Amino acid sequence: MTIDATMVGRSYAAAESYQVGREKIREFADAIGDPNPAYRGDDAIAPPTFAFMLGSRALDQLLEDEELGLRLDRIVHGAQKFTYTRPIKAGDDIAATATITTVRKAGDVEVIMYETALSTVDGELIATSTSTISHNRASA
Amino acid sequence: MKSAEIGLELPPLTVTLRREDLVRYAGASGDFNPIHWSDRMAAALGLPGVIAHGMLTMASAVRVVTDWLDDPADLVEYGVRFTKPVVVPDDDKGASVTFSAKVDKVADGLAEIDITAIAGEEKVLGRARAVVRVQ
Repeated sequence: MTIDATMVGRSYAAAESYQVGREKIREFADAIGDPNPAYRGDDAIAPPTFAFMLGSRALDQLLEDEELGLRLDRIVHGAQKFTYTRPIKAGDDIAATATITTVRKAGDVEVIMYETALSTVDGELIATSTSTISHNRASA
Repeated sequence: MKSAEIGLELPPLTVTLRREDLVRYAGASGDFNPIHWSDRMAAALGLPGVIAHGMLTMASAVRVVTDWLDDPADLVEYGVRFTKPVVVPDDDKGASVTFSAKVDKVADGLAEIDITAIAGEEKVLGRARAVVRVQ
């Protein structure tokens, strides 16, 4: 199967919520080399791009949709944007839902935009992640 | 909370990315795409070498803004385009990326800040922009 504009609007919810812990936030902050004290301790908030990781479980569901037929090793991340209602913090339990918003085709290359809503399991929207990916269907 | 005026330049930041940093980011983020650690797999995809995760470059770039802010919670929006890969050689030097930022607009308690990311002579991010709360 292949992806086309009729698939705009399809939504994929992460199978499980993501429990944000302060040690994971610290590990992530260390990995990006960011010593900001806001990312450490009992009241730690997460660095801005931590939000991308929270959306990855919803992306996994999108990639598993056989009707789209996307392959991770043929995807290049073209653009990324986040909008935040409030910072993600230790103790948050986050549900992610990804929705396809745009599909453009140019030969073998499909440019797909999807939006991932990151909310607490109680329904408070915390951040929205907008990703643009190109998928190349040409045989290698 | 910071105050900002149009044209204000934030203190620049240079970050060095070595192979070890890519492996550490792969582990912390769960992104184990081999183009970020295997020369063989990077070459198979026609890349000039192992490249940094775009999300790692994006994470480094926003530090030029969050280091300046009193509280990183004042960031309300942040977006980039990944225009050129950052090639990270397997040596002690790694790759250096220099980030700078300038306030482009201030209105209604929000400042829009343009971020520039240069590796070698090339811009590696396009349309990199952060929106932050200001006084």
